[in-house]
Amino acid sequence: MKIAISGKGGSGKTTLSATLARLLSRQGSSVLAIDGDPNPNLGVALGISALGLSGLQPLPRSIIEQRPDADGVNQTFLTQPMHSISSQYGVAAPDDITLLLTTRVDHAGKG
Amino acid sequence: MLEKLIEQTNQHTILDMEASIEHLTRGTIRHVDHLLVVTEPYYRSLETAGRTVPLAYELGIKQVHVVANKVRSPQDEEAIRRYCDERNFEIIAVLPYDNEVLEADQAGIPLLDRKPDSSYVKEVRKLMDRVLGVHQPQNETQTA
Repeated sequence: MKIAISGKGGSGKTTLSATLARLLSRQGSSVLAIDGDPNPNLGVALGISALGLSGLQPLPRSIIEQRPDADGVNQTFLTQPMHSISSQYGVAAPDDITLLLTTRVDHAGKG
Repeated sequence: MLEKLIEQTNQHTILDMEASIEHLTRGTIRHVDHLLVVTEPYYRSLETAGRTVPLAYELGIKQVHVVANKVRSPQDEEAIRRYCDERNFEIIAVLPYDNEVLEADQAGIPLLDRKPDSSYVKEVRKLMDRVLGVHQPQNETQTA
C-alpha cells in the first residue's frame, strides 16, 4: 500500500506522515518513508538521531536514466533495483522504517 | 525520480509531499494507492485541499480522502465538513489540535515516543485502521 500525504505548508503533513509510518510499520511489515519536501523534516519527526540524520543525503540523479523504450518513446528508468537504492541511500528510523530523501528534479524533455 | 520510486517499490510506502501541488500537476504521484489531503479549518488551507482533490482524481488515484487537522472545536470541524460536503470530498479522520504535538516538535522527540496515549496519536491510529480497511487484501493490486 502506497500512501501520499499532501497539504498546505504547516498543515501538519509531516507529523501525520511520521506517526502513520511508525504505526503502520508496527502492524508487521516494514515501511519505506519518502521525504519529498525540499525542506525535509520527516527524519526528525520519525525519531532519527542527529547522527543518523547526518548520513541522510538526497538521492543522486544517477539512480535514474532516460532512454527510449521498445516503442522509441523516451522514458525514465531506475538504474538499480529499489532494494539496492534503499540499502545504499536509506537511513534507518525506529520501528523498522527506511527513510529516503528525494530531490526536486526537472523532467525536461518529458512533457 | 519520485514517480519511479513509488512505482517500483514493493514496500508499504508513506510519502510526505512538498507543499505545492506540483507533484499532482506533473503526475509524479500517479502510482500511489491513496492520497491523504491534510487541511486545517481555515479558508486558505481548505482552498488548497479544494484544488488538490480534483487533481488527484484526474490523475487516476483511486482513494482520495481529506484529513481534518488541528481541530479545536465543533465549529472547526463543522467548517471543514461543510466545505467538503459541498464538493463531495470524503473526510477520513478528524485530528484534534493537541498541544502535545507542538511540545514534541519543540523537544525534537516524536509524539509517538513522548506521549503514545495522546489524543492525536489515538486518532491517527483510527485513521490507519480506516485506511487499511479500504485496502483489504482482495483490493490490493501491488505485486509481491
